[in-house]
Amino acid sequence: MKQLLVLLALAMPALGLAEDLSASQLAGQKVFAHRCGMCHREGGTGTFVLARRLGAAQSLLEQRTDLQPETIRYVVRWGLTNMPRLSRVEVPDPDMNQLVAYLTRPRPAAAP
Amino acid sequence: MKLILPPGVSRARFEQALKAFASVVGPEWVLATDEDRETYLDVYSPGRDTSHAASAAVAPASVEQVQALLKIANEFRIPLWPISRGKNFGYGGAAPRMAGTVMLDMGRMNRIIEVNDKLGYCILEPGVGFFDLWEHLKSNKIALQLGIPGNGWGSVVGNALERGFSPAGDHSNNICGLEIVLPNGEVVRTGMGAMGDGKAWPLFKHGFGPSWDQMVVQGNLAIVTKLCLWMKPADEAAISIEIKLPKPSDLQWCVEALAPLRLQGVIDGLVRLTSYQASATVPTLRNQWYQGSDSIPDDVIAQMMQRMNVGWWNGPLRLAGFSDVCEANLKRVLERLAKFTKQEFPVTRMRGDAQPGPTTYPLQMVNWYGGRGGHIGYSPVMPADPKLVQEQFERTRRRYQQFGLDYSGTFYIDGRAATNVNLILYSKDDEEQKQRVRQLFEALIKDAREQGYGEYRTHLSYMDNVAASYDFNRNALLKLNERVKDAIDPNGIIAPGRNGIWPKAYRAHRGVL
Ligand SMILES: Cc1cc2nc3c(=O)[nH]c(=O)nc-3n(C[C@H](O)[C@H](O)[C@H](O)COP(=O)(O)OP(=O)(O)OC[C@H]3O[C@@H](n4cnc5c(N)ncnc54)[C@H](O)[C@@H]3O)c2cc1C
Repeated sequence: MKQLLVLLALAMPALGLAEDLSASQLAGQKVFAHRCGMCHREGGTGTFVLARRLGAAQSLLEQRTDLQPETIRYVVRWGLTNMPRLSRVEVPDPDMNQLVAYLTRPRPAAAP
Repeated sequence: MKLILPPGVSRARFEQALKAFASVVGPEWVLATDEDRETYLDVYSPGRDTSHAASAAVAPASVEQVQALLKIANEFRIPLWPISRGKNFGYGGAAPRMAGTVMLDMGRMNRIIEVNDKLGYCILEPGVGFFDLWEHLKSNKIALQLGIPGNGWGSVVGNALERGFSPAGDHSNNICGLEIVLPNGEVVRTGMGAMGDGKAWPLFKHGFGPSWDQMVVQGNLAIVTKLCLWMKPADEAAISIEIKLPKPSDLQWCVEALAPLRLQGVIDGLVRLTSYQASATVPTLRNQWYQGSDSIPDDVIAQMMQRMNVGWWNGPLRLAGFSDVCEANLKRVLERLAKFTKQEFPVTRMRGDAQPGPTTYPLQMVNWYGGRGGHIGYSPVMPADPKLVQEQFERTRRRYQQFGLDYSGTFYIDGRAATNVNLILYSKDDEEQKQRVRQLFEALIKDAREQGYGEYRTHLSYMDNVAASYDFNRNALLKLNERVKDAIDPNGIIAPGRNGIWPKAYRAHRGVL
């Protein structure tokens, strides 16, 4: 647990990098905060389970660069391991599109 | 999930009804694809998905839309099951009791109508989540406390309507006035709200004449569109006493020591005693401890307790209020504990408003077996009597061992009654294990009935069994509930089968899964 917190702390500066987000990506960031953030930001249960399964580097969805639109759409609607499913009332189609735009946004090349 | 039609409704009539619903809420708020139906399944269920599969969902944005939807539902005989946020995991999630029911998803009605810190209440629409209300309190610096369930993802209204609870107590006790829509579309406000512009609606529970709030809680007579909830002002100070007891048999003396102090109001909220297991199920996987398919044995339990640094029974005791009163109460609690044990209990002092916010952290425990997890809760209510509590624990644990499942229990002691919440965790993909889970559950309901204890709440699949266990005078109360149901909801369109209450139109579905 402690180890994970240290790793998360190391990953923090990456989050601080100011990114220029398009209007739709920005809207997607809001959807993420409101609908996913309670489990998928630092210290959240989704982050923890992902770290356990895939390693800490893959655990924060907002930092992942390998997420595919179909995967995001599928997991939101069909869940994964113990993650419950989100309906189109909770994440309507337009919100889903924004969410996908945000989580798959092109990222500036990572510093070496 | 393939479409299962509401009983007695043809495909064509069903499509017509959906069209009519869409004319009220807009087509984008009628969800009826196979994928939509998947999103309303109870993913943690130990049974077949088809037992509680919704046929569609419809999401209104206003009271007027709810009224219009009910009118259509009556005309087409479409049963509607209301959910506020539908996060009722362990008890059925966002699913209905009867397959083919349409979900009435109230999630779009999500306004925080008022929060009053002087008089200590809030008025909410159903879609407001614990996270939303918490954020509102923090960003507006409102010093009111919120009772938050272990899984904080759900709705404040939905949770109270299920009689959810937290260490702060039974949340439905704080309901003070509802706005409801009856099956015929009529809007009623209960209590003091029954007076147009009634000024004391969220302040005095009963108004004039019979009190209706609790008729709606765990019932199926109406759709709730607004709920007034009492909130407690933040305390000046709080003290946490860490209880950590080494032996399973320590439960008995601990209840004997603490239940009277709870009854006298020395302890704030419920006394919570949780078995060692919860400390492991959240952060670790079962196979890190044990590979056997039987219940985790005692030597492994000893290792878990040591590595997780927990006792067999654990729980923070909370004292809260004015700091001098807290100190005086602390002295009383420690003196009382010293009569039973030489053990020392670490004490932490904190600000009264240092309440932790909602989290979804406990949901992790559903991953105990790895893969797709399942979970149901078994929660009988019994006397807060030390000997009976100890016996209840031992009997329940023996049943878990008999069916090869890992015991995980909590006793919430409320002075008079104890609520014994037991978690049953399993793998969704292990049919043989799920079979044992169902056998365990049925045995537990029977055991409780033999003792004269009943569940305070249960999973959709067991509502009929639990309702049947309330059997005084040949289930006279259930019969009364069904007479009232038939009178108010003659077509049986609201939540047929909820808590075992079946309207005459669907009574043949009792016990059908
Ligand atoms: C790990 C874990 C820990 C948990 N811990 C707790 C806990 O500590 N305490 C606790 O209480 N629960 C707990 N739960 C159970 C559950 O997750 C919560 O109670 C949750 O708040 C219920 O979901 P909800 O609030 O979204 O209610 P909903 O699912 O929206 O509503 C529950 C039911 O109430 C009725 N209802 C809802 N809205 C309306 C309406 N507008 N009109 C009429 N009827 C309505 C319906 O029958 C509905 O099915 C836990 C679950 C898990 C998995």
